[in-house]
Amino acid sequence: MTDTPSDMRGAGRRHPVIRAADALSTLCGWIAAAMIVASVMITCQMIFVRSILNHSTIWQTEAVVYLMVTATLLGLPYVQRLRGHVSVDLLPLALPKRFRRGLIAFTLAAGIVVVALMLYYGYDLWHVAFSRNWKSDTVWGVRLWIPYAAMPIGFLIYLIQLCVDLFAVLAGLDRKLSLEDHH
Amino acid sequence: MDPLLLGATVAVVTILVLFSGVSVANGLLIVAAGFLLIFDGFRSLELMPEIFFGKLDNFALLSIPMFIIMGASIASTRAGADLYEALDRWLTRVPGGLVISNLGACALFAAMSGSSPATCAAIGKMGIPEMRKRGYPDGVAAGSIAAGGTLGILIPPSVTMIVYGIATETSIGRLFLAGVVPGMVLVGLFMAWSIYSTWRYGSVETLMRSGTYTLAQKLAILPRVLPFLAIILGVLVAMYGGYATPSETAAVGALLCLGVAIVIYRLWNLKALWVVLRDSTRESVMILFIIAAAGVFSYMLSSLFITQSIAEWIGTLDVNRWVLMICINLFLLVAGFFLPPVAVILMSAPILLPIVISAGFDPYWFAVVLTINMEIGLISPPVGLNLYVINGIAPDIPLKTILVGSMPYVLCMVLAIVILCLFPGLATGLPDLVLGPAV
Amino acid sequence: ATELRLSHQWSTSDVRHKVAQIVADEVAAADVDLTIKIFPSKSLFKPREQYKPLSRGQLDMTVFPLSYAGGQRPEFNLTLMPGLVKNHDHAARLNDSPFMGELEKLMAEDDVRVVVHGYLAGGFVGKDKCITKPEDVAGLQTRAAGKAFEQMLAAAGASIASMASSEIYNAMQTGVLQAANTSSSSFVSYRIYEQVKCYTPAADVALWFMYQPLLMNKTAYEELNDAQRAAIDAGAAKAQAYYLEEAKKQDAASVEVFKKAGVEIANMTQDEFNAWREIAKKSSYKNFVENVPDGQKLLDMALSVE
Ligand code: NA
Ligand code: NA
Repeated sequence: MTDTPSDMRGAGRRHPVIRAADALSTLCGWIAAAMIVASVMITCQMIFVRSILNHSTIWQTEAVVYLMVTATLLGLPYVQRLRGHVSVDLLPLALPKRFRRGLIAFTLAAGIVVVALMLYYGYDLWHVAFSRNWKSDTVWGVRLWIPYAAMPIGFLIYLIQLCVDLFAVLAGLDRKLSLEDHH
Repeated sequence: MDPLLLGATVAVVTILVLFSGVSVANGLLIVAAGFLLIFDGFRSLELMPEIFFGKLDNFALLSIPMFIIMGASIASTRAGADLYEALDRWLTRVPGGLVISNLGACALFAAMSGSSPATCAAIGKMGIPEMRKRGYPDGVAAGSIAAGGTLGILIPPSVTMIVYGIATETSIGRLFLAGVVPGMVLVGLFMAWSIYSTWRYGSVETLMRSGTYTLAQKLAILPRVLPFLAIILGVLVAMYGGYATPSETAAVGALLCLGVAIVIYRLWNLKALWVVLRDSTRESVMILFIIAAAGVFSYMLSSLFITQSIAEWIGTLDVNRWVLMICINLFLLVAGFFLPPVAVILMSAPILLPIVISAGFDPYWFAVVLTINMEIGLISPPVGLNLYVINGIAPDIPLKTILVGSMPYVLCMVLAIVILCLFPGLATGLPDLVLGPAV
Repeated sequence: ATELRLSHQWSTSDVRHKVAQIVADEVAAADVDLTIKIFPSKSLFKPREQYKPLSRGQLDMTVFPLSYAGGQRPEFNLTLMPGLVKNHDHAARLNDSPFMGELEKLMAEDDVRVVVHGYLAGGFVGKDKCITKPEDVAGLQTRAAGKAFEQMLAAAGASIASMASSEIYNAMQTGVLQAANTSSSSFVSYRIYEQVKCYTPAADVALWFMYQPLLMNKTAYEELNDAQRAAIDAGAAKAQAYYLEEAKKQDAASVEVFKKAGVEIANMTQDEFNAWREIAKKSSYKNFVENVPDGQKLLDMALSVE
């Protein structure tokens, strides 16, 4: 549970595959941050339009909600890259280094399985929404496949980042293994 | 399988999975998927992304990143230092003025930030070195800031209160107000302990020693506090003046804070702005991911009839309501030792709240008690987020000193819970006064 | 033993829970090796997210405002259309009409069938004044329940503010909202009477009627044996009669609650109702017809029910 934005780039982070995944995740992080800023602006615009101009506000809440959902899903790989997903590190810290690597690899693998599951069924949901042309039940009537697309895309890149992290751990390229300097 | 036995199994498995070091959100998804697969069959897995998306599809959640941006943008400036310095210059004749100033600054800063680590970092960066320089014991310097920082989630705005409001469908505006007076009680207790401890383990001279400031110096610092008052005022006007709903207010606050940081504290360097956005994005995504994953987890609990059975079972237990409250507090305390507040609230509040209400407790009062429990978790081992923040700010203070220094403040918080049990009006009074009796 | 799972969004004291409970109790009493397990208070799914799992067989039954699924089946928007239903007896006739038969065909395509039909009514509240005719809402920040109502109110000059129903109370209190429209029971359960000056309930005429049937997954129904299906049908008949009676009582009960809280009660006249409907024809009806293939035909079928 570090709060410092620890960048885990050790020597191994120079591996081309790892660097490519990192770059992709960082791009996602930028987009997610931009979406959060956009939601701030849209919400303030909505308050202005409603309370000063006294006009209707039809699309703003919905737009903000979908921006937030998308920012969260696209943010997953970026936060994974920053090791920002909070976890309880007691047991890994207590284990000798050899077992620690095994445990970290195991937890990453378990994460990969469940994220793959979310990706598969998330894609399925997106596909149904797309092929049946589902819309949101509002005046704005957003075509749902657009916000739903955040699920296959976000989970896919998150999956890639997790796989690359697993690869780094197995190949001994990840600094997370030397958790002594973690806190 | 009996739902209660199943519930116990889920609890044990969840603890084991989370202790493996897997990220909390992934862990919750893994446990949920596993039990759904075994007891509801393969088809129930199809629902997971839909529930995940549905949990995030909630306008009230917007306030979480917004309040985090508020804290992060102000914490990136020297505003925190200005704040405690202003207090220090004015409290120069008060014994222990510096530690009082720091705790006061924590409380004021908490009124702008929804998160505890942000409060801790903002005040501690300058406050801890200054206190040590003037001879305060390391334990008091570190402990008071670690504890003062926890006020971030009790004094409004508060990310955990928002999460509680969403999980239990209680009014967020009312929850915010409920935290105000208990927050002040806690500040008072922290101050009392800091002064006593400095006198006991430091020296009287430390307490009395302070810079001497001329009236001109005292007045000169005031303009630097104005932005704070403007932000707090702006948020209050937006929320209670008929302009915005509580969840929308957060955006006003975020925009004001970013504006103040850029205009007054000259944060117009793009790289510095990106650091603020990056940190806010990281913390928000981390919390929102846990919220969505906990949504899938609680779907599993409800689908397997575990939630309903536990509530029913506790309803049949014929125990004294205060015994029940003590048990709930112990449970929250232990959960808070290990898990981040958001995860504890999301997993326990929907189960606990009906029990608490049927035992005759007020849901807003309970939110405050729950939050103080979570605050304790932030400064207690083994996983205390604020302790690590302090460790990052003042690396030369040994973690053990920080830990030992924080322990008395934990006792202050326990005392605050006892006080709240004796005088529940401390939590419910202000919301009743401002908003009328609870809906 | 077969177990069916039924989900809905209301508390256990709500009429819609009782409708579900009657069916569950009747099925249990029939002793046909079938149980219905009820998940009330959105303890399983969010209100608007029940139709998808129902149609995909992940949920067996639900009490569900059908217009919530209007994004998937735009035809369902007709079940929350201003002025289409005149009163509760008219609603009951609609339930037996060819119009409802068309909707049931569409539901069947989603593997959904109706177990119990039922409509509930609602009205308007104003923070500072009464809302009975279209001119009353001009310039007011208004929160409407349902897309078609938003379109009609906007055409009448109201400013539409979209927010969750749980935020209505706060928004009225702080002055963000000046008017709202929703069901009689929601007005009561969110204690809106504490915040408003005037209430226009559903009375002899009412604009706001919402179709909220008890639905069941069609395949799940067909997989039951004859005795089990008969038990459900018997329970459904009893529940539907109860639902109609209670729906009428809801409106009167809400008036009592508002009166007791000192809120002024206004009544909509037939002329005012007609004025609203004229605006609705030019806004929500028109919009519906333009966006739904066969929309005109369905609308005419609904309007032809006497
Ligand atoms: Na705060
Ligand atoms: Na802890």
